[in-house]
Amino acid sequence: MTPGRRRLAVAAVLLVAAAAAAAFLLLRGDEPVAVEKPVAAQKPVVRPPQAALPSAPKPAFAIPQPKLLQDRDSVSRWSPVLRRTAAFRSPDVRTPVVGKLETQTPEETTNLVLVLDSTTTPSGEVWAKVRLPVLPNNTVGWIPRRALGGYTVVATHLVIDRARLRATLYSRGRSVFNAPVGIGESQWPTPGGKFYIRNKLTQYANPFYGPLAFGTSARSAVLTDWPAGGFVGIHGTNQPDLIPGRISHGCVRMRNGDILRLAPIMPIGTPLTVL
Amino acid sequence: MTELTLEEIDVDGAIREAEDRVAQLTRRGLLGAVVASGAGLLALGRPGTARAVTKNDVAILNYALSLEELQSAFYTEAERLRKLEGKARQAARRVGSVERAHVAAFRKALGRNAIRRPRYNFGGVTEDERRFLKTAVAFEDLAVAAYKAQAPRINNRGLLAVAVSIHSVEARHAAWMRYLFGIRPAAEPFDSGIEMSEILRIVRSTRFIAGPPARTTRRSRPRFTG
Repeated sequence: MTPGRRRLAVAAVLLVAAAAAAAFLLLRGDEPVAVEKPVAAQKPVVRPPQAALPSAPKPAFAIPQPKLLQDRDSVSRWSPVLRRTAAFRSPDVRTPVVGKLETQTPEETTNLVLVLDSTTTPSGEVWAKVRLPVLPNNTVGWIPRRALGGYTVVATHLVIDRARLRATLYSRGRSVFNAPVGIGESQWPTPGGKFYIRNKLTQYANPFYGPLAFGTSARSAVLTDWPAGGFVGIHGTNQPDLIPGRISHGCVRMRNGDILRLAPIMPIGTPLTVL
Repeated sequence: MTELTLEEIDVDGAIREAEDRVAQLTRRGLLGAVVASGAGLLALGRPGTARAVTKNDVAILNYALSLEELQSAFYTEAERLRKLEGKARQAARRVGSVERAHVAAFRKALGRNAIRRPRYNFGGVTEDERRFLKTAVAFEDLAVAAYKAQAPRINNRGLLAVAVSIHSVEARHAAWMRYLFGIRPAAEPFDSGIEMSEILRIVRSTRFIAGPPARTTRRSRPRFTG
């Protein structure tokens, strides 16, 4: 047999063997291969012991869905002055002093400042930028954070419009109070700018100031020798017929009914803008 | 270690106030007060559904509330001051919302038996990211340890279920803050609880609980310019 014929014969034998194997496998495919159906009755069922695993107790109360903070843009914060301190132009004791802060006001209430910003110096000390109750009005300065107490947040803002002779209180940006006011005469003008409410005086026997007076951080620029430093107040009056008008020494006067209406809705620390 | 009294830490009197009020009430009277205040603890007294709410349970709830108030105030102030950035800021915002939810739930459940909200002075730690994270880790670890120590002492099963649910949330917060601060989130194979006296000692050492409120109102004659 020639080599070519021998190779042809081997190939033919392999082909026949492969066909036989395929036929065998196809025939076996009609029956399940090595798969056994489970027979439930033949195997024991494992069940957890019911008595040993009672249902879990329900929580006594639910925790509500968390709500993200919504008021970050409409609040201000103030802090009591815990230690006497100087205020500096920058957060650095080597910069000029722009004012000094006592722990008490002339009315013997806790002195407080409106906190505008803060920063941490390279040495790791935290400083606060605060609005100061000093002349010239609208002065801001930096003081060490450690001189202050905790922050209190307020969501109100009082605006005195000297042209329209009106006071408007905003709460979270919404007007909640509006009333006519009396302001300073031309020789004792009510100072303009940004200030804050720093105390509230009550139950005094002086009808000139009405039933209630708020102290502010604003100061008269002309009545500097006034007792206690010439601070500007917002108070009632015993001459309601003069309101609205330019009739005071710089204070903001309201009718007694209006100041009593304002008192419970304007917290201490409320920012004050005099336009 | 010197044993500290509640008076030393509770300068505001809030916790003592709650304890005193609880001590004056019988369990029935206490539940009556809770019901009158509209709180949701009434169902806990039903026979057969759970063990009774005890004075001790209420005291533990108020203790937990005091820690939740501390955390809530801390994160809320940090978010408002906006001195945090990136992941720390996101974490403060999210965790703060959860702590506020815990406070709201505890206050609703306790009704008029809840302690007063204390005042805080965080003294700048909410205004510096590194110090914020370090403090957050401490607060979260403390909360986890406090819940763990008190949980076995809670008599009412429903309250225990609440405590365990919050405990695991605080543990997640602890791991989150630890990760952000750069330390191992899960350092130990077994955690121990910390007793109330030790927790209060640590909280006191921070000086974050402020003293008396600022005196901003006075009966006094004005000396304003008029």
